[in-house]
Order: sequence, then C-alpha cells, then structure tokens
Amino acid sequence: MVRDMNFYKTPVWQDWCPGCGNYGIIAAVYKAFAELELDPSKTVVVSGIGCSGKISHFIRVNGVHTLHGRAIPFAMGIKIANPELEVVVHGGDGDLLGIGAGHFVALGRRNIDMVVIMHDNKVYGLTKGQASPTLPRGIKTKSLAKPNIQDSLNPIALALASGYTFVARAYAFESEHLKEIIKKAIKHKGAAFIDVLQPCVTFNDIHTVEYYKNRIYKLEDGGWDPLPREESEEAVMEKLLKAFEKSMEWNDRIPIGVFYINPYVPTFEERIVEKNPSYKTNYPARQVIDRNGKPIVDINVFKKLFQDYIVNVKNKGF
Amino acid sequence: MPRSEVNIIIGGQQGAGLETSMAVLSYTLARSGYGFIADREYFSNIKGRHSYTYLRISSKSIPRSLTYPVDLLAAIDAETIFTHFDDLKNNGVLIYDKASNTKKLDAIPSIEEPLRERLINKLNSLGIEPKISQLVEYLRNHRGIKVVELDFAGLLNTISRKYKLNPQQASRYVSSIVIGAVSELLGLDAEALEYGFTKYFKERRDIVVQNLEVANLTRNIIASYEINDLKLEDPLLKHSELLVVSGNDAVAIGKIIGGLRYQSYYPITPAGDESFTLEKYEKLDLDGESVSLIVIQTEDEIAAITSAIGASLTGVRSATSTSGPGFSLMVEGLSWAGMNEVPIVITYYQRGGPSTGLPTRGSQSDLLYSIFAGHGEFPRVVISSGDHLEALYDAIEAFNIAEKYQLPVIHLLDKFLANTLTSIPLPDLDNITIERGLVTSNGETYKRFNLTSTISPRAYLGSKAIMWYTGDEHDEWGHICEDPVNRVEMYSKRMKKLELIDKEIPDNKKAVYYGSKNPEVLLVGWGSVKGVALDAIEVLENQGVKAAYLHLRILWPFPKTYVESILNSIDSTVIVVEHSYMVQLADLITMNTGFRKLKRISKFTGRPIYLFELLEAINEIKMGKTEKMVLTYGA
Ligand SMILES: Cc1ncc(C[n+]2csc(CCOP(=O)(O)OP(=O)(O)O)c2C)c(N)n1
Ligand code: SF4
Ligand SMILES: [Mg+2]
Repeated sequence: MVRDMNFYKTPVWQDWCPGCGNYGIIAAVYKAFAELELDPSKTVVVSGIGCSGKISHFIRVNGVHTLHGRAIPFAMGIKIANPELEVVVHGGDGDLLGIGAGHFVALGRRNIDMVVIMHDNKVYGLTKGQASPTLPRGIKTKSLAKPNIQDSLNPIALALASGYTFVARAYAFESEHLKEIIKKAIKHKGAAFIDVLQPCVTFNDIHTVEYYKNRIYKLEDGGWDPLPREESEEAVMEKLLKAFEKSMEWNDRIPIGVFYINPYVPTFEERIVEKNPSYKTNYPARQVIDRNGKPIVDINVFKKLFQDYIVNVKNKGF
Repeated sequence: MPRSEVNIIIGGQQGAGLETSMAVLSYTLARSGYGFIADREYFSNIKGRHSYTYLRISSKSIPRSLTYPVDLLAAIDAETIFTHFDDLKNNGVLIYDKASNTKKLDAIPSIEEPLRERLINKLNSLGIEPKISQLVEYLRNHRGIKVVELDFAGLLNTISRKYKLNPQQASRYVSSIVIGAVSELLGLDAEALEYGFTKYFKERRDIVVQNLEVANLTRNIIASYEINDLKLEDPLLKHSELLVVSGNDAVAIGKIIGGLRYQSYYPITPAGDESFTLEKYEKLDLDGESVSLIVIQTEDEIAAITSAIGASLTGVRSATSTSGPGFSLMVEGLSWAGMNEVPIVITYYQRGGPSTGLPTRGSQSDLLYSIFAGHGEFPRVVISSGDHLEALYDAIEAFNIAEKYQLPVIHLLDKFLANTLTSIPLPDLDNITIERGLVTSNGETYKRFNLTSTISPRAYLGSKAIMWYTGDEHDEWGHICEDPVNRVEMYSKRMKKLELIDKEIPDNKKAVYYGSKNPEVLLVGWGSVKGVALDAIEVLENQGVKAAYLHLRILWPFPKTYVESILNSIDSTVIVVEHSYMVQLADLITMNTGFRKLKRISKFTGRPIYLFELLEAINEIKMGKTEKMVLTYGA
C-alpha cells in the first residue's frame, strides 16, 4: 500500500448507526483508492440520497451528493464533459433500482466508463426501513407492518440485461474482497456495477451479519472465471448466459465475486470518438470558448459554420 | 399596382410536402430580397391531418405579425378549402387541385367534428351544398375570388412519365406545384427560384432539376391566367445577406456562438428541432480546429437536466432544451442547481397545456410556472425573447448570466417562435461578449461556497481544487450543515444574487419601451407578443392614437423599479397581452408593483394573436366596453 487510507478521510463525522454495513463499504473504498493512488482532484464520488448517499462527504476526493435516484445521470454529465475524471457512483438500492431504475438501465446501454456501487440493504434506510426493490416478497423486516407483497428484483440479472460490462456482488464486511472488486471495477473500461450486500442493523433484522455469514461464498473459490474465453460472439454469449444462471442463485448459498466481464464492448466515450475524433483530446472540459471575452466564433467562422442558413441576396452582394 | 405586402395560406395534409414548400419559398424570397415570416400550424400527427403555413411577405421590412384576411389561398386538398375559405379576402386568389371538386365535407374524415358542424351551419346559411365544386362556384361568383384550378395529377403524370417515377415518388412533387404557382403569382424570378430549390436540396442536382421542371410547368399555366394583383414591388430591404432560420435554429446558433459544449435533451415538440440542429454541429469546425460539442439524447428529462448540471460542474457551458411536460420532470434538478449555484441554461419552449394539452400549438401559459417552479426558495433568472434575433442573442446572454451569477437561467420561448421561419440579419458578433464569471484555479484550501462574497469563485471539477456539492444545506466546503447561523448566511448569500442581478443588469436589457412617450394606450407583453404588439401600436399611431408597447425581456428577477416607474409616470389605458387564459403577466406586475389598473387581452387557442383581432380588442377596451378580451381567430 503506497498511500495511507487515512489520506482519503475527511474530517466530517460519519453519522451512520453503529454497526452499519456502510462502515465496511467506506473502509474498502478508502483502501481501494489508496492502493490505486487516485488523485483526489481527478476523482469524483457521485452519490444519491439515502444513508448510502452521505458517503461522498466522508471521502476526500471531489464529492457530488445529488438527488434521490439521479446520481447516475449527474455522473454521466461529469464523465462525458471531462472523461479524464475517475467517476464512482454510490447509491442505495431504493435510489438506484427504485426511483432511479431508468437511469440504471440507461447506463448499461451506454457503457460509460464509470463504477456504480450499490449499497444493498434491502430497505429504505434513511426513511426508516420501508421495503426496497431488493427485498423479497413475503419478508417482513422490522419496520414493515405486514410482510412485503412486492417481488424483489435481481440486481445482477438486471445489470447483465442492461449491458453493464462488469458485474459483481460483494459483501460489506468482506472488506478485503470488496476492495479488490472496487479496484478491478475502477480499472475496468466501461460501466461497472457492484451490488454490495450491506447489513442495515437498525431496520433489517432479516439480512443480518448472521444471515450473510452462513450463506455467502466466493465465486472464485469454485473456479469461476468471469471473462469470456475469446472475443467471439459465442464466447461472450456463453459467459453471459452462465452469469445469468449464476445470478439466480440466492438462498442457502449466495455467491459473491465478479460474475461477468466483457472487455469487448466499446465505451460511450469511444463511440463519441468514432463519430468525432477530436473528442479524444478536445473534450468539452478542455475547450476554450472565448478569446479575451469574445466568442471564438467570429464572423468568418460564423459564415462557414452556418452557410446552410445564409442566403446571399441577389444584386445586393458587395 | 405592385404590392408591398402579400399574405398567403398554403394548406394540405400533414406530410404532403408543406415544409418543403415553405422552405423553398423562404429561400427564394430571401434571395430576392423580400422580408417574410412563415408560421407553421399543425396537429400532433405525422400524416393525414390538416396543416398549413401562413406566409407573410413584405418588400419594405421583415414582417412581425400575421393578420386576416389573406390574399391567396393555395389548397393542396379539399380540407384546406373548407377550413380556410373564410380566411380569404374578397377578390383574393384561390389555387386548388381539380381533383378536390368532387369532395364532399362529410367524406373528409380528418376534419374534427366541431369544425364540421360549424361548416355545415355556415354553408347552410349561405345556401351552398357542402361540396368543393359548389363552394368554389360561390367564392367565384359571390366573393369575387379569382380561381385557378390546377390539374395536380396531370402535372405529376407529365413528370413521372418523363423521369419514370412511381406514383409515390411523383407525389413528392406536389410541393413544387405550390411553389411554382405562388412564385409566379408573386412575380419572383427564375434565378431566385432555382436558388431556393438548390439551397434546400443541396447537392442533389437531379432532384432540383425535376422539381424546377414541375414548378416551371405550373408557372406557365398560372401565367396564362394573367393575375397581376399579387405581384410584388421591387424589394427595398438593404441586406446583402440574410439568415433564414426557425426560432429553434436561431437558438441553436446562439448557443454555439455562446460556447455551448454539452446539450442534453429528451425529444419533445416544439423543442426537439433545436437539438436536431445542434446535432449537425457535434463536430464543430472552428477555423481549422475541430472541437466536440456533445449532444445527448437522454432517457428522460430528469437525466437531461441532471447530466447537464454534472457537465456544468466541470466548467462546461451546458444546457438542456424542453417544453412544459419535460420541464415538469426537471424541476427537482432545477432546485438542486439553485441550491448548488450551478450555471445551467434551460431553454423552455412553451406549448399549449395543461398536460399534453395542444402539443404542437403555441402558448405563454408557463410564465408563472417557470418563475416559481421548484421547492424551496432559490435564485433563478427567467429571460424571454420577442423574435428570432433576440432569441439568438439571448441564447448567448443566458450563459453569461448563468455563469456570472452561478444559477439556473430559464430561457423562455414558445412554439410560435420555435417553428416560424423568417429572415434575419446576420448577428453583430463584434458586440457579443463571453463572460465566464469568477473562476479560481486555486487548489489549496478551496471552499466552493466561500461566504466572503455573494458570488464565491467557482473551481471546476478536475481542476486542482477539491470540492463538495450537496442538495442539503451546506457549509462553505459543501458539506451538509443544518446549523441555524450557517443556514441564514448561506441561504441569504444565495438569495442576494437576485438583488445583485437586478442592480447590475441594465434597464434596456430587462425591458424595452417602444412608442409614444405619453400614450393613450400602453400595451404590455413579453415573448412572441412583441411583433403583433409593435404592429398594433404602429397602426394606432397612424390612426392618430398615441400608443406604446412595453416589452419585458427579463421576467425574473422582475424589473420592478423600471416597470413601476413607467406605469406610475403615465396616464394610459394599460393592456397586458398574453397567450394564456389568465394573462399571467398582469398578475406578476401587480404582485411586484402593486399596480392594479391592468386590462387584459388573452388568447389560448394555441394559434397566434393576429393583428386585426388585437386591434379590435384594443378598441373595445379603450372604449371602456370591457376589461378583458379573449381572442379566438384562426384554424
Ligand atoms: C424524490 C424523493 N422522494 C423521496 C425522498 C425521500 N427519501 C430519502 S432517502 C429515501 C430512500 C433511501 O433508500 P435507499 O435508496 O435504499 O438508501 P439507503 O438509505 O437505504 O442507503 C427516500 C425515499 C427523496 N429524498 N426524494
Ligand atoms: S439506518 Fe441502516 S443503513 Fe442507515 S445508517 Fe442505520 S444501519 Fe446504516
Ligand atoms: Mg437501501
């Protein structure tokens, strides 16, 4: 470890409940950032609203604490305008898969080079424990008056179906394992999703440390390889189908680890470059738009740019 | 006697080539040196429903408004004749397709029932059978209309035989029949017409040639009628170059000049065309240097505004463009931008609401909404443009205001402006400035929300500084803070920007007063009311009535002092004119100035306010007959 993880801590008091899984997640983030030696001024943590969303204030890199469900599109604007930035999104399960599900899916379609870390506690923590979209039907967590009558969705399968090119699950208190996955996700070129199982000690009395301790196992221990064996369509399809199948496993045994990596899909940034090569060097945040307070577009440039709209009036030309 | 002005309606089914006719005629007119505006009225429909273009041409100036009745009705189909025959003035000209003769009113399914009933009653009262041949006879005999019956099918046949076109291909040439007919009646020359076609079809020379041939065939037929009433006098305008643009184009062009580098949008009428125009400029060639302008179609308007905010945080001039339904989805993001002092431009093209309302028609009923939308209090600026040239300049100014004061700016426009084509002079770029506001490159101990001044210097994400943003109330660093003392300081700092803006923006940018100093009638309006209001006061002056128009440009922060000083210094009938039911501007004025003696002229049919009806309404109010008039003219 080159940098001390404390380098990435802000002095802001972390106001999560004692024992909350978020402490495990942030410890892994600190370590991952430290090991990757991320430059705080070139790194942006974009978070949503929820207990999870507060995380951006606790990390000493740029932090953008956005709106409930909207961290992904905020992050998209940041990343597209300045692709040099390392962008990491943190959101709750309600945040990313309830109110923000449309954006979650859209990011997969775009494959923008960023990481989405979902704090999956199966409840709405900050609003006091209502069911989140990952809480299975029939389960009654502490705050629910009656067992949940809505089905849970499968975040791993949804990420795979949406087109994420790096899909993983981790556990908040397997900090070392989580850290390694975060590092891999950051290094991955494309949209990476990590579903982090996160005990909420205050509102979720079902999915507790005990619950997970007895169930989780590491994919890699069983020899799971998330990478397609080659760049062919068949190889990718084979891996994807296996990952889908694996994503269905959830009961007595819960796999954690990297389910799927597809390094062959062009990122959104690459798709822009293909349309317009200048994006590579002259992306929006790099551009100068004025010369001493005057627009770059002077009358000569104007006439060239907008010639389609200019009509030369007959007999009036000079 | 040659005419200095001609008013034309060209109508047909949506998808029948009206847009082509409008564009080619526009280029031809501009080439010839005439001023024009071309308003497009259409349903929310791709093919089949009635749509029309109102084209007003002048040899003396660029027209600012529309009025009825018109001189020429060019009808591609029967529905157009039924719908518009009363719009045509006595002794005017009707051009129509022979095939329409046998069409009966009840055989036209696209006519909406209320109109069909009105037409049946009308035709009944005139003693006309509801059939085109009968109606045309009536127009010829009782209204003195000069009727030109063209054989559209015959003309298309000639061309399809010559060029071996199938009927579907041939039907695309209908627009050129119209173009030929109109250009001949106006006396436009062949060179200008060819220029018009070439400008529109660009390199596709074969298409230009074929279309020209159809147009010229038509011209010869029209010439044989020897109708000289509509021939235009030689143009007196002085421009050597003109920009032919829609309002959407004007804004897109302004944004590019203003340094826009990130635009997000979700498709919606009447905003979409602006983004489509911008997409043509993704690869922006600035004098040899190629740069990238990002235009992104997002998954919804929430992503549109929030991603634009994200881009803005990196120091990029960012905007999004939408209409009412989309703006509704953006409001939470707007409030976040206000709280986090993010410069962002929202170009807001109003259409008829509520809900889906009249999705392709105009409106100004979102004035109060754009000023007050958003939970909590935060500063914003709402600016509006009265015409295409204003829209182009305002698109640039919006960014300057946004960045100088670090807040969201709503550029409020409407469908009338968005979809109307006109010719404007090339912008005066020498007088345009780009003001990026206070920016620091200081990295150490940077505090994004430094309280030492009302405007804390910005640092961009990606610069040396590290910063935090949050929608929660925050301290100078951008970290959550609910302390009451900090709350008061931070909240006040944000809100004080409104006072600063009010102080720093000169009066002439906030509002413009046109006309007589101590008028008998003072019209007050904003946005696309400008053109018709200016024409109205000109007519009134010519009639010996002293009249003026107060045109509001910055609607928020409301230019209280200036408006108050004007209203208190005159003793006029003050009439507020707006495309809405409430005439919201009147209430906004009262709210801000306490001035209550306001009369109202309202229109909410989604069609433009026409000069003649505005004049009638002003007259009624001036005579003390009523306090409020509701206008309804137009199909
Ligand atoms: C538009 C909107 N609706 C509702 C809320 C209230 N709200 C705050 S946090 C939250 C749910 C948080 O749950 P989750 O996203 O799972 O995050 P967690 O607190 O569990 O980390 C809700 C509904 C809000 N902030 N914004
Ligand atoms: S409510 Fe749950 S998720 Fe929120 S801080 Fe407490 S333990 Fe953590
Ligand atoms: Mg949650």
